[in-house]
Amino acid sequence: MLILGIESSTSQVGCAIGGHEGVLASAHSSRGKRHAENLTPQIDFVRQQARVELDEISVVAVDIGPGLYTGLRVGVTAAISIAFGLGVPMIGVSSLDLIAYPVRHCQKLIAAVIDARRGEIFYSSYRQVPGGIQRVTDPIVSSPEDLSAELQAQGTETLMVGDGALRYADHFDNLRGVESAEPGLAYPSASSLVQLAHAKALREDFVNPSELKPLYLRKPDALEINMQPRRAQ
Amino acid sequence: MTKNLVLAIETSCDETAAAVVGEGKHVLSSVVSSQVDIHARYGGVVPEVASRAHVDLIAPVIAQALIEAGIDQSDLDLVAATRGPGLIGSLLVGVSAAKSLALVWKKPFIGVNHLEAHLYSCFLEEPDLELPLVVLLVSGGHTMLVAMDDHLSYRILGQTLDDAAGEAYDKVARYLGLSYPGGPAIDQLAASGESKIDFPRPMLNEGYNFSFSGLKTSVINYVRKHPETPIEDIATSFQEAVVDVLITKAKKAVIETNAKGLCIGGGVAANSLLREEVLDTCLKEGWQSFVPSRLYCTDNAAMVAAAAWRRYNQDGPSSLFTGADPNLQLLE
Repeated sequence: MLILGIESSTSQVGCAIGGHEGVLASAHSSRGKRHAENLTPQIDFVRQQARVELDEISVVAVDIGPGLYTGLRVGVTAAISIAFGLGVPMIGVSSLDLIAYPVRHCQKLIAAVIDARRGEIFYSSYRQVPGGIQRVTDPIVSSPEDLSAELQAQGTETLMVGDGALRYADHFDNLRGVESAEPGLAYPSASSLVQLAHAKALREDFVNPSELKPLYLRKPDALEINMQPRRAQ
Repeated sequence: MTKNLVLAIETSCDETAAAVVGEGKHVLSSVVSSQVDIHARYGGVVPEVASRAHVDLIAPVIAQALIEAGIDQSDLDLVAATRGPGLIGSLLVGVSAAKSLALVWKKPFIGVNHLEAHLYSCFLEEPDLELPLVVLLVSGGHTMLVAMDDHLSYRILGQTLDDAAGEAYDKVARYLGLSYPGGPAIDQLAASGESKIDFPRPMLNEGYNFSFSGLKTSVINYVRKHPETPIEDIATSFQEAVVDVLITKAKKAVIETNAKGLCIGGGVAANSLLREEVLDTCLKEGWQSFVPSRLYCTDNAAMVAAAAWRRYNQDGPSSLFTGADPNLQLLE
């Protein structure tokens, strides 16, 4: 089984190819919002490095967000198109799961926090369980202020991870029992995606390309601002 | 078996479309999934809503285009997508899908200019049109007069300095309380009205540029002052003013550039009065003319395939590093 993993929900875009033998090749780039330009050549590069042909890919895994909408859509559209083009199933994994996964050996509560722009964050928390981690709260949109207050009220030992934790570090730095993971782990990695997808693929936890939906968490702008249907004056 | 098959994808605004076309003229399939019902409640296209809908619709629409064409992906020779101009979030979905399919199917990819695609909608149905031609491109986003000297060789004679013709239609329609999109709504009402009001014909005798913002304002001011005027008469009078300006300038362009004929393209080319006037004028003057079927006037992927095939044969494929360009110009 060969899995192609694509992640593009933050300012970074990346992909990896792997399977039973682990990750064969991966690449990431984060310079200047060029997800759409870079992703296709990047996949071709990773394919060559992994020394496989794309028609050997049997599953396409994708980071479904939450994250920055434009980048997210580039990755999700590419993944859907590749799965459709090859006639293979898909696996969707949340970006928050992806940033919590590398710190899975931590005994504390894990707070995965992604920068949602507009002064907001996407957030979800995780606990260690035998063999990995388990999500304990569903992904939500929140503010750094609200999350900080919540963590303070809980008083639980917590490890913060993600670009949202970095950006709003001043909201969390002085909280008792709260510490930040190293900045190198702040972005979702395509290698983590392939590893998580591999476990799901063994359980045949697949979706069809037509069923895969990005996790936006926010309504589109017009609905958000409660725009009224227009009427003539 | 038709050769030189192009799969084209169009997602520049609010239509998710895919088509399979052979040699830039044999349309094997042209699927358009319109989001017009989704956007109608906002009175216009909401970009984020459009982008989300494109992601949901892109694979089903492409699948449908291949099924209707009765072909397999191995029969394709080229995968194309509109790369601009348009809404960035919408364009990125089509470009990403087309590049991905080209990569996995090992086919060349080409990024297409949406305006060039509209110019080629005429050649889709009438591939033997003789050049040079003048093409009047009128849509919700553009109003321009283009001298097409040869294939893929254009001069922009003039364009709108403010609102596009379709934009003026939408704004007037909204003011009159008509449903979105405004073009078809006004066109339908105009059929039963009388042309009683002499609305201004902006810049009628000043070169080839257009201005519709002032006309729109004078319609709105007129309705404010004369609320009792039947809405049908407003629609008819407004439509006549718009079409009069478009036709007068197009006619002048054909004469002054020594073109062999006049064609129209773009969403407003679906307007009944404009279609009628173009055909009448050309018949009277003895020019060749072509008015595309309505389904090839509004955004569709068949015209993208037609332009893609021409471009590919002249310039070769685009790089897989191609992105979307929301402000792409016709002459780039």
